[in-house]
Amino acid sequence: MKVYGMPFDEKRIHLYAPSSKAEILRYSPAGKVPVLHDEGTVVWDSLAILEYLAEREPRLWPRAAAERARARAISAEMHAGFAKLREHMSMNIRKRYPGKGRTPEVLAEIGRISAIWGEAKGPFLFGEFSAADAMYAPVVLRFRTYAVEGPNRRYMDTMLALPAMREWIEAAEREPESIPELDLYE
Amino acid sequence: MQLIIGNKNYSSWSMRPWVLLREAGIAFEEVQLKFDDTGHAKGAERYSPTGKVPVLVIDGEPVWDSLAICESVAERYPEKQLWPADARARRVARSICAEMHSGFQALRGEMPMNIRSRHPGKGRSPESQRDIERVVQIWTTCLDRHGALGPLLFGRFSIADAYYAPVVTRFQTYAVSLPPAAQAYCDAVLALRAVREWMDAARRETEFVAGDEPYASDHR
Repeated sequence: MKVYGMPFDEKRIHLYAPSSKAEILRYSPAGKVPVLHDEGTVVWDSLAILEYLAEREPRLWPRAAAERARARAISAEMHAGFAKLREHMSMNIRKRYPGKGRTPEVLAEIGRISAIWGEAKGPFLFGEFSAADAMYAPVVLRFRTYAVEGPNRRYMDTMLALPAMREWIEAAEREPESIPELDLYE
Repeated sequence: MQLIIGNKNYSSWSMRPWVLLREAGIAFEEVQLKFDDTGHAKGAERYSPTGKVPVLVIDGEPVWDSLAICESVAERYPEKQLWPADARARRVARSICAEMHSGFQALRGEMPMNIRSRHPGKGRSPESQRDIERVVQIWTTCLDRHGALGPLLFGRFSIADAYYAPVVTRFQTYAVSLPPAAQAYCDAVLALRAVREWMDAARRETEFVAGDEPYASDHR
């Protein structure tokens, strides 16, 4: 939404606090974030939100049908897959854990991400910025935290230079809360 | 179009796009690959870089992942209205499909799809029980809102029904007792022609996939 200039109000909920569950349920029927409220209805789940936004802003998916199908495939793959990467290299923007979390399963998943990024069509995965880049943005940040080299460095630099990414990173660095369960390698 | 699928008895992800295409009357060629003991579909690498089923091959290009397949098919056949036509209903439909796509791990892990078997009462942990309750909540909310239009989640058949069809078969396999509205929905799904056709084929399959049979010793 930031990249394509779609205005929205942000409401941040602190996770893992005693009041988190009740606070999330006030906004989200599934009890999870993210959740988008628009025109009196609720859309939950990151991928469903992206598809909803793409109905209003068609540039969110690549224009050619075959590329759009591929963008959806890699986005869905991210959405339900890469479980080991998510477990052993949880997103933690402020921290640096070089070399941590590299189990054989994680390395296999990194290999798959390298293959996907290796086919990038331009500065972004499909030339222009698309929803697929938004889906892989947290992976870029994980690779930064865990100092994963190898996957398309140019793509990572492009993503890290994106104003929307910089804004997210800067806000993350200012956050006062720390969640010990997610600081995996202290 | 070619749809590459796994075993009909076990492959819940394959069932979703298959039921969608068949129920919508969209022609496709079915290619079935059989699972090895770990649930890997042998030969899937030939069709998809993920090495997983399902894969839909459109004009020679693979589209992998059940949800991406459903979105791509919906876009290719707009006249079929595979997502609800109403914008608000469509948002909810997409949300509940995405929730299924990345959630319900306990339900999936402890009550794997196994159409031809019966394991009443098995797989009930506090976590899978919570998943069952959430499914019932989703169904009853949708049925309350759209029930006037027909017996399915959004009245007439949509991707959401294809997406929850494997859950319906699980509730049958594991004999989950449901509130009347949710049970009526299950009956409506089980009566869909495409679902019946898939389940009939599943019952005729003889392969035994150990990784999907945590309760087989009770059964044999």
